[in-house]
Amino acid sequence: MEHIQTVFSFSSLLTIIIGTIAGVAVGGMPGLTATMAVGLLVPFTYTMDPTLGLMLLGGIYCGAMYGGSIPAILLNTPGTPAAVATAIEGYPMAKSGRGALALKVSVIASFVGGTFSVLILLLFAPVLAQQALKFGPAETFLLAIMGLAGIISIADENSSLIKAIIAGLIGMIIAVIGTDDMSGSLRYTMGVIELIDGVDFMPALIGLFSMIQMLELAGQKTHKIDTSVLNQTSKKEKLPKGISKYIALGSGTGTVIGVLPGEGATIAAFISYNFSKRISKVKELFGKGNPEGIAAAESGNNGCVGGSLVPTITLGIPGNSVAAALMGAFIIHGMIPGPELFNEYADRTYPFIISMFVANGVFLIVGLTLAPYLARVALVPPAIMVPVVATFAVLGSYALNNAVFDVYVMIVFALGGLIIKRIGFSLEALILGLILGPIAEGGFSQGMIIGHGSPWIFFESTIAKIMWVIIFILLVPPLYSYLKTFVFNKEKNA
Amino acid sequence: MSFIKKIAATMMAAGLATSVYAADYPSKPISVVVPSKAGGSTDRTARLFIDLAEQNNAGFEFVVKNIPGSGGQKGFEAIARAKADGHTIGLNFTPQLVAHIVSGRAKYTLDDFHIMGNVAQDPGIIAVPKDSPIKTMADLAEAAKSGELTVAVNGIGSDDFLAAKSFEAVAGVEFNLLPTKGSTEQKAGVLGGHVDASFMNLSQMIKQHSVGDAHIIAVLTAERDENLSDVATALEQGYDVQMSATRGFVAPAGLDAEIAAKLDGILAEVLASEEFKANAAQGNIFLLPQSGTDYRAYLEGLQAETEKVFEAAPW
Repeated sequence: MEHIQTVFSFSSLLTIIIGTIAGVAVGGMPGLTATMAVGLLVPFTYTMDPTLGLMLLGGIYCGAMYGGSIPAILLNTPGTPAAVATAIEGYPMAKSGRGALALKVSVIASFVGGTFSVLILLLFAPVLAQQALKFGPAETFLLAIMGLAGIISIADENSSLIKAIIAGLIGMIIAVIGTDDMSGSLRYTMGVIELIDGVDFMPALIGLFSMIQMLELAGQKTHKIDTSVLNQTSKKEKLPKGISKYIALGSGTGTVIGVLPGEGATIAAFISYNFSKRISKVKELFGKGNPEGIAAAESGNNGCVGGSLVPTITLGIPGNSVAAALMGAFIIHGMIPGPELFNEYADRTYPFIISMFVANGVFLIVGLTLAPYLARVALVPPAIMVPVVATFAVLGSYALNNAVFDVYVMIVFALGGLIIKRIGFSLEALILGLILGPIAEGGFSQGMIIGHGSPWIFFESTIAKIMWVIIFILLVPPLYSYLKTFVFNKEKNA
Repeated sequence: MSFIKKIAATMMAAGLATSVYAADYPSKPISVVVPSKAGGSTDRTARLFIDLAEQNNAGFEFVVKNIPGSGGQKGFEAIARAKADGHTIGLNFTPQLVAHIVSGRAKYTLDDFHIMGNVAQDPGIIAVPKDSPIKTMADLAEAAKSGELTVAVNGIGSDDFLAAKSFEAVAGVEFNLLPTKGSTEQKAGVLGGHVDASFMNLSQMIKQHSVGDAHIIAVLTAERDENLSDVATALEQGYDVQMSATRGFVAPAGLDAEIAAKLDGILAEVLASEEFKANAAQGNIFLLPQSGTDYRAYLEGLQAETEKVFEAAPW
């Protein structure tokens, strides 16, 4: 009870509101990431009251995860890789003048996913953390495969299956560059020191989405947005029926995946998106602006927020890079993750957790209020939009690691991506391969070492068996239907 | 001469120097290169130092510049390359600083640095899961004879890796070595029982050991650690394996002698202050103050040791 009072004091509320709104802004700008914002602010919170400092960072985390969806929907420029799936459905909606609805679905889904995951964190953290420990490298490999199965779901609407798979492979091949973690040897770094850590996926993301979008916008003769629809429906269009099913699906998936180690949010968003497509009654609308997909993806990535903090504060094993930066803030105040956080430091930990409910509420209000206005961003003429976003893309790429090299990476991906997009390959599949390839590789090689060279380890545990079933469900039905149409077309042609 | 006396002497020397050297130093804020991400332990060490250094020295302003990635190599090169005018200093960490030289990847050598002094260390440890039958170093050597013992180290060429290789040589065994990406994976491996043992650092496991979620069987320093006095060193248990990750300050070589003395003095003064000790203890940073001369000797020794390992098993 007193913890709730701590959260609802004036200074706490103010801190949470500032943190959350700053987070939404950070998540919304290409190149600014929650990891970066939290990392930079950790030393700053050293001089703050510990509880307030943690609330500020928690607000940024919650806000940024939602903020990534705004430019994804409006401009097809996802601010974080976790919002790529949102862009697939959101941007077509914005183009047809339904941007306000897309934003509304996204903020509500984010709110529900975020709140659900924080609730789980509050109630079950220690129990869940023990379960998460059973998840080893072999299971990490399978999780990455589940994420990569998302390539199939991108494929059957946007481009041909073969082309999507090839794009995914190109991403995985690019991810090979860098240090081989198992032997320490360098692969294809060509003596360039910047490549020792491999190709950073953030500049790649900015190049592939923000920059290419701007190049395409600049290349259009006329700027076509159906403004009449926008004006009619901006405030009126109600949430589609049955959307709560997809939000629930995403929230659950996101929270579970968030608890597991690895870059959870991206995987969670794609797996939720993929699930939603499997159960949807209007599969054919996916890729053309289906709010169901946004609902699943956004509740999925926000579900990771609470989930990722479960192993972070109970075991000191951060669920992703933002959680890792947040852990630094706990440590700097002498709060070493472990059971102590829930007894000795309970008066800081619980207010921090409770503050994230407030943070979710804050971005819900902000998002709902601003949705009709934000939707008008789509009306900004390219002459203004292109230079502004392009500038942010360059600055953001540089700011990631204070490195000009990353700007070059961004430009190379923009130019290369533009070419392969024009010949019909999916950029979403490419970025998915680039992000998940290394996770799959790490899990596979570590699994093989732990299994002393026997691949049996990937089938051994109960979790692994369940994951194989899910992978089967995700992969086989779409493959079957693909083959069916393929054979059918062949017969027709013959 | 005891260390405290050395510090006092350096401080006096610095005090004397103040009156003599160029009046325009520092003419701008001093960049502190941190070769890792903001918010990590190296970064925190830098910021704790800056806090007090600015307090103690009117007119000095320090700005952190994070250059993360490639195991610190980018940051180390940036320090070595910087203009030696006293407006750039930086942190180094071992064994990565010398490991990059040994592996032939670095463009710098130790001679490219003015070594200001060491600040902290994170002693190497060997941790096993809580239910593990391995309780001592002898158990570990025995269990490793099969060649099937899975042991996690944080990447190839890291302090953990060097320590594990050193143990293999001393005990005449071979591990099923599992390189991980970051200590988080090691921790998850030990807590979840996916690995049989892990070579890592004290700060990463001290809490888990004290609450019984994992078990530390040996500390890899010459003396027992004061934060963990119930755990015997590897040396005590008959295995001469020593490894510790140190973090110190360096500057580009070729500094004006007076400026160098001033910078060394600022560091020594911060290291001697009670406030710094208290802040470090709270932030899980284990201090090991060393003068520039002593720290250089340590780094040279470490480079020679690392060369031996590299020759036997290059990466």
